[in-house]
Amino acid sequence: MSMTKLTLQIDGRSIETESGRTILEVCKENDITILTMCHLKGITDVGACRLCLVEIEGVSKLMSACTTKVADKMIIRTSTEKIKRYQRITTELFAAERNHVCSVCIANGHCELQKLAYDVKMDHIRYPYLFPQCEVDTSHPLYVLDHNRCIVCTRCVRVCAEVEGAYNWDVMNRGTNVRIISDFNTPWGESITCSDCGKCVEACPTGALWPKAVVQGQLNKAPEFISDLIEKRKMKL
Amino acid sequence: MRVRKAKKEAEISKNDPRVKFLANKIKKENYSPGSLIEILHTAQNAFGYLPLNVLQYITKALKLPPARVFSTVTFYHFFSLKSKGEHTCLVCTGTACYVKGAQAIVNELEKQFGLHSGQVTPDNKLGVAVARCIGACGIAPAVVLDDEVLAKVEPQELTQKIKSKLAAS
Ligand code: SF4
Ligand code: SF4
Ligand code: FES
Ligand code: FES
Repeated sequence: MSMTKLTLQIDGRSIETESGRTILEVCKENDITILTMCHLKGITDVGACRLCLVEIEGVSKLMSACTTKVADKMIIRTSTEKIKRYQRITTELFAAERNHVCSVCIANGHCELQKLAYDVKMDHIRYPYLFPQCEVDTSHPLYVLDHNRCIVCTRCVRVCAEVEGAYNWDVMNRGTNVRIISDFNTPWGESITCSDCGKCVEACPTGALWPKAVVQGQLNKAPEFISDLIEKRKMKL
Repeated sequence: MRVRKAKKEAEISKNDPRVKFLANKIKKENYSPGSLIEILHTAQNAFGYLPLNVLQYITKALKLPPARVFSTVTFYHFFSLKSKGEHTCLVCTGTACYVKGAQAIVNELEKQFGLHSGQVTPDNKLGVAVARCIGACGIAPAVVLDDEVLAKVEPQELTQKIKSKLAAS
């Protein structure tokens, strides 16, 4: 694919870049902050979380920066009131959909959802909490999957399939009944595909996936580790 | 690495005409992973639902990750993972069985138990479903009662058999 140079405007700044990149990539290179959740550098973007929305002049609906490619002369805005309002709504819905009790969560203080809530200044939630009945799968010898804390970003699904190549995870059902599953909705410890590598645990933004060898509040994940790994895998010795 | 206990999979009977029928379909689709939905439809039509051992069989044949298959099955409302009722009576209404009187069987079931296809008795004891060709046209009209394939079925004999099953359970 040949790259052509192009010029666009983001938040009033004129920026030069090349074709083929996403709006998110270009923003990052230029230190323009975009909130993200389902994005993890190196794995396929699916545009699932709707946090990275931007306004593009001439386009009536908001577009997700992680899945929209840049085009010449695009005029993009990343932090309008409308965008902020949507981000706040999305964050509140995350919080209301499952049982996020930060004070007793293993990831307290190291959680991307918690950080997001601070970023969008979420001081209350206007939606009723759904309080769904969620299971905690402790069958794996090394790790735990706690559906109470899952936001269904599918980072674990994509990391396991695309980076580890094990394809243990996928998503079952629809709507509020959506759940992350291993194999045939098999207990994780009985999975015939999982290689126990721990990449999904590292990639998970919340306290939904965690290693058993960690105590409450001490969980500190490094999703960048996965992105680095993807880069290093392209190296030839 | 973890030491894995070998998990015994639920057996799939190679003598079941429905399994042969499914195997042929998979072969016809060239074992292509892209034909998953098509093949799931075939299986659902032949079995009335998608038993786990059938899903395992399809997963292996198409070389797909199990979670991918399960995700697809649970996404579409058309597919179901459970048979309805403790006992199930699956009536084939494919062309051959239809010609040989499948409709009379369906009518008799309705008369005796008040059940249409897809329905189950209020006590969940008996469920009735219809299938489109289960690959046993030579013995038409065919019925699968629980896991037993019945040949050249007589409506009254069938309902008698069901009644004694229900009485025994
Ligand atoms: S531990 Fe590794 S192989 Fe197992 S589910 Fe997680 S990413 Fe996949
Ligand atoms: S388990 Fe974690 S990584 Fe996987 S979908 Fe849920 S929140 Fe995302
Ligand atoms: S980061 Fe773009 S939609 Fe989730
Ligand atoms: S039509 Fe009934 S088995 Fe083929």
